[in-house]
Amino acid sequence: MTINLNNIVPIPLKEKFSQRGSDVWNRNVTLEKGEWIKIKAPSGTGKTTLVHTLYKLRDDYQGTVVWNGKELRGISDDNLALMRQQNISIIFQDLRLFQQLTARENIELNRLLQQPYYEAGKIAEMAEELQVTHILNQRAGLCSYGEQQRIAIIRSLMQPFDWLLMDEPFSHLDKNNTAKAAALIARECKARNAGFILTDLDEDEHFTYSRYMNL
Amino acid sequence: MTTLNSLLKKLIKASAGRSRFIMAVVGLSVALLLILSAVQIQMNYNDLLNSKTNQDSIANFLVINKTVTSSNVGETALTPAEIDDLKKQPFVDDVGILTASRYKLSAQGVSDQIPFYTELFFESVPDAFLDVTNKDWQWNQDSKFIPMIIPNMFLDMYNFGFATSQNLPQLSQELVMNLPVQINIRTTLGTVNYYGKVVGFSDRISSVLVPQNFMDWANEKYGEQGKKQPSRVVIRTRDAGNPQLVSYLTQHNLTTDADKTRFSKYRQIVTGVVNVSWVTGAVMLLFALLIFTLFIQLTIASCKEEIVLLVTLGAAPKQLQRFLMKQFFPPNIVIVVVVLLVISMLQFVLKQLLDKQNIYVNGLISPYTIAAGVVILTVLYLVNRFSIKKYIYQDK
Repeated sequence: MTINLNNIVPIPLKEKFSQRGSDVWNRNVTLEKGEWIKIKAPSGTGKTTLVHTLYKLRDDYQGTVVWNGKELRGISDDNLALMRQQNISIIFQDLRLFQQLTARENIELNRLLQQPYYEAGKIAEMAEELQVTHILNQRAGLCSYGEQQRIAIIRSLMQPFDWLLMDEPFSHLDKNNTAKAAALIARECKARNAGFILTDLDEDEHFTYSRYMNL
Repeated sequence: MTTLNSLLKKLIKASAGRSRFIMAVVGLSVALLLILSAVQIQMNYNDLLNSKTNQDSIANFLVINKTVTSSNVGETALTPAEIDDLKKQPFVDDVGILTASRYKLSAQGVSDQIPFYTELFFESVPDAFLDVTNKDWQWNQDSKFIPMIIPNMFLDMYNFGFATSQNLPQLSQELVMNLPVQINIRTTLGTVNYYGKVVGFSDRISSVLVPQNFMDWANEKYGEQGKKQPSRVVIRTRDAGNPQLVSYLTQHNLTTDADKTRFSKYRQIVTGVVNVSWVTGAVMLLFALLIFTLFIQLTIASCKEEIVLLVTLGAAPKQLQRFLMKQFFPPNIVIVVVVLLVISMLQFVLKQLLDKQNIYVNGLISPYTIAAGVVILTVLYLVNRFSIKKYIYQDK
């Protein structure tokens, strides 16, 4: 599943980009299946905008985003849902858990939205690995950001995908936990032969990236 | 085991408007009760009119003619257009034309015991409109006599009016039927004699009736004037008390036996009650639907954030729609079933009450009532579906 970005420019940030060069905005970029891409950018340059644009949460941009030959703007609600169930998974910067559900229920929900990719037992396995077993039955709203972030990571790995979009996925984690989470994500991506796009503020060596880009 | 539905239930709580929901349920129940009762009452009334046990055979056939007034004397014939129009009316099942004889005739007694002589006329009507079935009621050119049906009223008038005042013997039906009568038809070439015989007495048509084929043959053979328009017709109707029929007759200056249309007044009352029930029920149904729609809208609006996040995570709007449908629609089924059960019970009680008065209605509710329930359920389904779809897509 390739992603083509054809001269996309987010309308709200239009003025800013005319001032400086970017590897992504207003260019023709092709992201090939299986690429592990790191997008580095300072605050306020549109990392989240890019992730949301790719995930079709927003339409306010010029140019076109093409997923596997299909223009994102023209895709129907049902096909979009299917894509989000089968082809793209996401870890939001703002986590976006259901506060009133338990951590386990949050993960379970994404597992059950489509024909389950993993057995329910996989949740406990991953929770163990990321050291969040003890909060699985706690309401997400009561968990710390670090815990919520790990829940969001596990949630994103419960479904099949070709691309994993990660928007500063380790922002609330310490070094040790970041390493564990990165290892888990790398393993899951390899197992699916999937690519990912990770945005972050700084350089890092969490993964062996195949491409670096600056926003 | 956790299922997607149980998770969705936790997220999309319908508790947002519990009191509104109860209001909608009560409103819908009362509305349905009124509407379906109206259907059932209508069906019971139709039952009473049509069923064998309740049928009043006289009431179903009406002889209709123009009212004779000083302005239309001699012009009371019914035009083909008028007859066609009558045939087209929904309350008229069939129209039979009364054919009148177009020749002069008289009848006289054959035996000396009962001498009589009278000028006479014949009329005929298709057999389907007769209330007398008799093996003698047939005629062909080889027949020895012409069968006749006379009104019961004639005999009554003779027996209780004429005979007593003139000191003549009273006659039984059997006697009259065994009395040979000589029929004289006067033609331009002289008088032709036939024998006639009364084979039955009718309560339905006040005329001297002969078989249609005799009438056609005799008119052809002896008729003096050209073919004339009929001035009387018999109609068959399922309901002589139909107010529509009564008002149609009045409008077209037609008249019939008023006694037979006497049920019209009762019918109007029943129709009135049924209509009030209908309208009230329909208005209530409308309001109940409105409340239901608002309730659905409120529930979806109060879970807006959850729905948006669900869609973000990849829930298909259709998935959510199906889930919401499962939440909102089943109460409707329960309401319809309960209302149908209540009406069944009422119907049973009604039967018990009416049985005592020798009015027989069906103890079970009519299939039409059930069908009406199903139709309303379908409407509810569509309204539910439509509003869920509308508000989900508004939210996401």
